[in-house]
Amino acid sequence: MGAAKLTVASLHKSFGGLAVLEDVSLAVTPGEFVSFVGPSGCGKTTFLRIIAGLESADHGGIRIDDHPVTKPGMDRGFVFQADSLLPWRTVFNNAFIGLEVNGAINPETRSRTQALLRLVGLGGFENYYPRQLSGGMRQRVNLARALAVNPEVLLMDEPFSSLDAQTREIMQSELMRIWSSGRKTVLFITHQIDEAVYLSDRVVVFSRRPGRISEIVAVDLPRPRPLSVKRSPEFVAYVERIWRLIEDDVRLSVLEEGG
Amino acid sequence: MSATRSHAAAADTGATEASVGAPRREPRGGGLKLQLVAWTSILGGLALWEFVGRVLVKNSLFLATPWQTALALVQLWQEGALQHHAWVSGQEFLIGFAIAVALGIPIGLATAASRRTAAAVNPWVSGLYATPIIALAPLLILWFGIGIWSKVAVVVSLVIFPVIINTEAGVRNADRQLVEAVRSFGANQMQIFMKVSLPSALPFILAGLRLGVGRGLIGVVVGELFGARAGLGYLIIQSAEIFNMPKLFAGVVVLAAAGILLTAAFQALERRLVPWNYE
Repeated sequence: MGAAKLTVASLHKSFGGLAVLEDVSLAVTPGEFVSFVGPSGCGKTTFLRIIAGLESADHGGIRIDDHPVTKPGMDRGFVFQADSLLPWRTVFNNAFIGLEVNGAINPETRSRTQALLRLVGLGGFENYYPRQLSGGMRQRVNLARALAVNPEVLLMDEPFSSLDAQTREIMQSELMRIWSSGRKTVLFITHQIDEAVYLSDRVVVFSRRPGRISEIVAVDLPRPRPLSVKRSPEFVAYVERIWRLIEDDVRLSVLEEGG
Repeated sequence: MSATRSHAAAADTGATEASVGAPRREPRGGGLKLQLVAWTSILGGLALWEFVGRVLVKNSLFLATPWQTALALVQLWQEGALQHHAWVSGQEFLIGFAIAVALGIPIGLATAASRRTAAAVNPWVSGLYATPIIALAPLLILWFGIGIWSKVAVVVSLVIFPVIINTEAGVRNADRQLVEAVRSFGANQMQIFMKVSLPSALPFILAGLRLGVGRGLIGVVVGELFGARAGLGYLIIQSAEIFNMPKLFAGVVVLAAAGILLTAAFQALERRLVPWNYE
């Protein structure tokens, strides 16, 4: 596997006596795209938030390039589920905010942010306000904002879950295009198994609470992957396999939420 | 006006209300039609008033017609009395309003920033805000004299509370997800305050000021009723004592016009300072 970009060592986390994550360990190689699936309430989001430094672990640790990580920083970029753009800032100033709070305000970072907005397909929209944009465009700003700090690791928490099915497909292939141009290490949470398979080198399957890694599935499909790969038998087989791994847990958690 | 009312609701209850910061739809196409309706309503109202004053209530001790009021306005202007009274009341209002804002916003920010400050200050704020503080006007006249400063004090006591309450509600209303997004880049508390909390609070603060306009005008007039040597409230009470209804109504009309103009000015200010809610 070589030197890992990110290592998670035996992570534990509980909220008020309720164990959410139990002994989660993982190593991610540089430039790898890893997705996380599992039933709701399995602690995926908490896992990502701990890596982002928004939450602290009870036990265990995170390392990026062998440096321990405990609080938020520019080496990670977080793409939130809700676009969470500041409504009073233009598209450009939203994308620029990570650099701004870190005091990296100079012509070079400005032109980098401009270039990123073009990369995510928002060239010409720099001076728009978020509410003038569609949901898909807002998520592109969200992505550009995370990329603008030039992070080592990109953390994405169900970034496309609020988009309609068509926009979602387009955003998936766009994300692939953007990812292959920079080859960031990406950790991506999703509820949709086909999305996980389409995007990822590996899919990590979480079990029901307390969250544990129950299986890691390596996706051996050639890249670049056109959207049509989703109809290939190999692809469908991966989706089937992962679905069978989480099916029972999902049923249980649905029952639990229902009653 | 529905947006105005929801601002008022937020201030009255001190509660956080989602719709306050929510985008406002500007009338499109129907704007001209609505203006026509507004003007018809105003002119119709004036015509009805004129009719009642001329035909139904003929006794000019009880009611002045719009026409008589207009004549009184012209006469007062020519005498220079109108300018004098308006200038005195205007000073009282502006100084009181400025003091209330200069104190109210920092107090609101302080109570939003620290639970301890909030615990110490909020019982006083909610207690005094709910009290008809206007009842203290005679006392304030006693303390500050018959000149402008007693009226300034009345204005401050009426305006400061909606400003404090709205400022605090605005800062507290800041979206947690936005705070978190900025925090994920390593922003410190001060940066979060400056880049998220304060801009989210701005529409609330401006709404608090707009509420303060109406309360401040009431403060000026009521203060002057209890003791003054000049001012629009003084003009009104003097005219009432000698049953000069046209002059009384003239004073009321000037106050109403001031209220409309100031509210419109604040709406224009909101449009400038909070463009993301309009565009």
